Amino acid sequence: MLGIMLQKMWHKKWMNLSLLLGCILLVATAISFPLYQEAVYDRMLQDEFDYYLASTGTWPTQISVLISSKKDRGGNTMKSMEALMPKLYSDLSVTPKETVLYYCLTKYGVHSEYMRNDADDLYARLGTKSGLKDHAKLISGEMYSESGLTEDGAIEVVISQDCMTKQGYLVGETIVFDAAKDHDGHPLRAYIKGVFGKENENDYYWQEKKGEFDDVFLMNTDLFMNMFTGDNADKYTIVCNYTAMFEYEDISASSIENLSAWTEYYVHRSSYKNVISDPPYVDVIASYNNKHSRISATLVILQIPVLIMLAAFLLMISGQMYEMERNEISVIKSRGSSRAQIFRLYLYQGLFLTGLGALIGIPFGMLLAKLLGATRNFLIFDLSETLAVRFTPMAAIYAGAAMLLGLICLTVPAIKHSRVSIVNLKQQKAMKKKALWEKLFVDVICIAVAGYGYYNFRKNSADMAESVLNGKSLDPLLYLASSLMIIGLGLLFLRLQPLALKLIYTIGKKRWKPASFVSFMENVKNGRKQQLIMLFLIMTVSLGMYHSTVARTIVENAVANTEYKDGCDLVMKEVWTEIIDQNGAKTGAYIEPDVGKYLSAPFIDSYTKVYNITDATVSAGTSGKLPVNLLGIQTKEYGQITYVKKKLNGKHYYELLNELAVVENGVLVSSNFRDKLGYKVGDTITYLNSRNKSASGVIVDFFDYWPAFSSEVSVVQPDGKVAVESNYLVVAHYEYLHEKLGEMPFEIWASQKEGTGTKDIFDWIQTNDVRLTKYINRNVDLEDAATDPLLQGTNGVLTMGFVVTLLLCGVGYLIYWIMALKERELVFGVLRASGFHKSELFHMLINEQIFCGILSILAGFGIGKLTSFLFVPILQKAYASTSQILPMQLITNSADLVRLIAVIGMMMIVCLAVLTVMLLRMNVAKALKLGED
Amino acid sequence: MGNNVIEVENVSRAFPVPGGEFWALKKINAQIPEGSFVILKGRSGSGKTTLLNLICTLDKPTEGIIKIDGTDVAKLSDHEKEDMRRTKMGFVFQSVSLIPSLNAFQNVEFSMRMAGIAPGKERDKRVEECLKLVGLGNRLTHMPAEMSGGEQQRVAIARALAHKPKLILADEPTAELDSAMAARVAQLFADMSKKEGISILMTTHDVGLMGAADFLIELENGERIDGRNND
Repeated sequence: MLGIMLQKMWHKKWMNLSLLLGCILLVATAISFPLYQEAVYDRMLQDEFDYYLASTGTWPTQISVLISSKKDRGGNTMKSMEALMPKLYSDLSVTPKETVLYYCLTKYGVHSEYMRNDADDLYARLGTKSGLKDHAKLISGEMYSESGLTEDGAIEVVISQDCMTKQGYLVGETIVFDAAKDHDGHPLRAYIKGVFGKENENDYYWQEKKGEFDDVFLMNTDLFMNMFTGDNADKYTIVCNYTAMFEYEDISASSIENLSAWTEYYVHRSSYKNVISDPPYVDVIASYNNKHSRISATLVILQIPVLIMLAAFLLMISGQMYEMERNEISVIKSRGSSRAQIFRLYLYQGLFLTGLGALIGIPFGMLLAKLLGATRNFLIFDLSETLAVRFTPMAAIYAGAAMLLGLICLTVPAIKHSRVSIVNLKQQKAMKKKALWEKLFVDVICIAVAGYGYYNFRKNSADMAESVLNGKSLDPLLYLASSLMIIGLGLLFLRLQPLALKLIYTIGKKRWKPASFVSFMENVKNGRKQQLIMLFLIMTVSLGMYHSTVARTIVENAVANTEYKDGCDLVMKEVWTEIIDQNGAKTGAYIEPDVGKYLSAPFIDSYTKVYNITDATVSAGTSGKLPVNLLGIQTKEYGQITYVKKKLNGKHYYELLNELAVVENGVLVSSNFRDKLGYKVGDTITYLNSRNKSASGVIVDFFDYWPAFSSEVSVVQPDGKVAVESNYLVVAHYEYLHEKLGEMPFEIWASQKEGTGTKDIFDWIQTNDVRLTKYINRNVDLEDAATDPLLQGTNGVLTMGFVVTLLLCGVGYLIYWIMALKERELVFGVLRASGFHKSELFHMLINEQIFCGILSILAGFGIGKLTSFLFVPILQKAYASTSQILPMQLITNSADLVRLIAVIGMMMIVCLAVLTVMLLRMNVAKALKLGED
Repeated sequence: MGNNVIEVENVSRAFPVPGGEFWALKKINAQIPEGSFVILKGRSGSGKTTLLNLICTLDKPTEGIIKIDGTDVAKLSDHEKEDMRRTKMGFVFQSVSLIPSLNAFQNVEFSMRMAGIAPGKERDKRVEECLKLVGLGNRLTHMPAEMSGGEQQRVAIARALAHKPKLILADEPTAELDSAMAARVAQLFADMSKKEGISILMTTHDVGLMGAADFLIELENGERIDGRNND
């Protein structure tokens, strides 16, 4: 059996190679999705951890245990607690990073050995914090020694700066704990050896709440353990704070469930539940899970069409093969082979192909996943940044499912054909049947469902935007609706195409030249055979167009939006110290930071000062005050640094600036302000800052868009819901505001020099000791926007889907035509023998390529365009509605179109070339089997 | 009888084989007059099909001259040969050779399209007439797959004669037919050659059909053995 199989496969090696290619692609595509997702999730999780650490200064993956060991006999409580952490590390297989124990005795009244008048009020806690030396800096005095004791037996301690100032301790002072005795019964004595501060304010080592060290004397850890724990534990009550930090890099997306379960048990249900506090990573994981569900829903939906096309590809190729082998199967069948035998033959072949496919497909899929992670835009990769891809159990499941699907596609047709003997084959060949989808009107149903979906989403787009704002994922049905639209329109085209051809044929029925006549008739009679490959072409082109539009629209709108929202390359606002008068009242005057340093900053091209007063108001007659955002600009410099696209305001941005420039007290006002209060150009408005200093301005013009201006802002309300509120902007002259409203903190808006990066900026900030309260870096934001996992994932999946489809389509198309040509070899022989010129044969071939290929491609373009036009604006909401300010623009990149046409054109040229060679090689006499000699 | 439609003069055909050449035909002479039905007879490997391929210009002789309707085919370009095939010749092949996507009428009409006969009532009438001639006047719209092998072969014959060629070349047209049907086809050829004035050259090894022909050309080992090679 195996021999027959291999022989059979060798006989049709090209066919089987394509089947193998199909299997490889099927497995590779199938596994690349979970692999890619897993890798993206890993990266996303790490980003979340990084972000949490950077924004809170708290190490996210830590477990804190807080117990009070009251006269702990034998130190059992502490022992069991200390044993908990190693268990955690091994349970979760994570690397311990740092374990910080912070133990304190209870508070005691103390007195100084110095004579002091405040002695009655003194109190202190004796404690220890492990690793203090590495994380604290000494402000005065020294750190406690190795032994921890002075020569006269006092405990050496260090205190915090606050402790020193609030309680008035001095370095070198010896403090006596009257009520706390050592094991010999003497009162404890502490010698204050130094004052410490935090080495680094953001160090995750310092997690104690503010004021925690106000009354704490920190001593040598070993000494503390010796004196107060173990055998001596029963004499003291110790508050133990035990913090175990482990590397968050060890936490992968797949281990989250494990970590959560562990946390859930220990923090909420175990006997430790009252002593372990909620670990900070719980928040990180919650935030991650929220994003994760949104992304995974989207990515899963996006990959479905590709998987369907892969299965269709296998079905088509295997169908073609059976078509070719029908005679053979029928003959074998007529000679008495059982159906089971025939089926087994194909089953083995299928197993062989899918097995080999998986073997090659799995590494290939991992490569694909890597490539996906490098996607920057549709069909654009940045190979310098690839994902770390690991083979996961989930991927193995996908691989298995893909192999099964492949096997089914490869063997099911055999079941159908193995029933057919040579007798009913002849009968079948004579029958013309309508395809099932045609009879069931699948095309019309698809379009109707998609149309309904479109109508519904259009109608509810506001609700949808809101649900996305509230963190829900996009309705999968929306993407499905667009896919259905494409399939439905594609099928409709297949239904109409033969009718159209028939019509054209009928017009010149008797006059068609032989070549056209044969092509027409071939298409009219046998067109149905081509439907699958045509559908393939249509889907490839239309999905390609649609996906490129989706990807580009989403990314480029996100980028444009970020560019707009940031206003310019760099926005910085320093800390302004307000001058306080002798009575401690604010004077409204500030110490102005030195601006000169910006002039010499190596990364700044040019800059301007901008007043950005967010709490200004405009007196609105009887209706009181309307809160507005007041901007004070130097028109020329501001115009050099910022830009707004002309079409957004219907007027050049510089025109607006020029209008403002010539009127000293002029203001430019956002058009929603005009709509709200009914002002017109030339009207005067009065605006006030938060100190109620006012100025009046003459409206010179209105605008819809202004750098960084958003006419609506989303505000999270106390009940957690998101509401959209109007935002108004008034733009005035910087100098005028300065004159009328007095000195106010300004922002520096700057354009960045080419070739300088974030590092240059940070270095400069460090060397100049600049303290910023506001910092916007457009390049960083743009990078963030481009590497957003949802955007990148979408791009990756869409790009990959497109590449795979194109590959399949190319291979499928070629195979289809080679098979079709082989099938018709006899007919071509007859035609040539009867005097058909070669040129006519090519003419015929080109005709058929036009009917089947070109028409499908054109239909694909049309369908892709239409679907994009209908669905992309809705789909885009899912990605951008949380922050989209600019009007959404449908972006079709003509380069994508060119690429698409180039690749498909190439495919058709290769196909034609192969077919031409085949035709030229065709031996007419042999094709006709003229005689036996 | 009038002029010779086919004139074969000292035609030989050699094929390269390992270690030399194989002469499939050796100095063959033959003339086929207008309106005659000639059977080319011989066993397998005798050179029948080689000769037929030379006459229908799909192949070129190694030596000798072949004239079709007075024209030396060696002087024609490929394109001219193809034009000659489509206007002056009709073909009936051993295996069923209809175009599967065309019905009986269209298949017959197709040879007239090829020959450049203008569309119109005349052309349609001729198609029906030819199909009637082969006894299929009632099956005009049947597709090849809906007809028996014999019927299909008769459509092929109708197709071969529809454009009124000078010559019909038929290569074992009866090979796949039963003897009764084969006899009918042979008789049809004989009748047609008289009625339409078409010369017909048919190869066969079915001795039962020989009587229908005006004369035989018999080949063996590449040589003409009916004794008229030097006529």
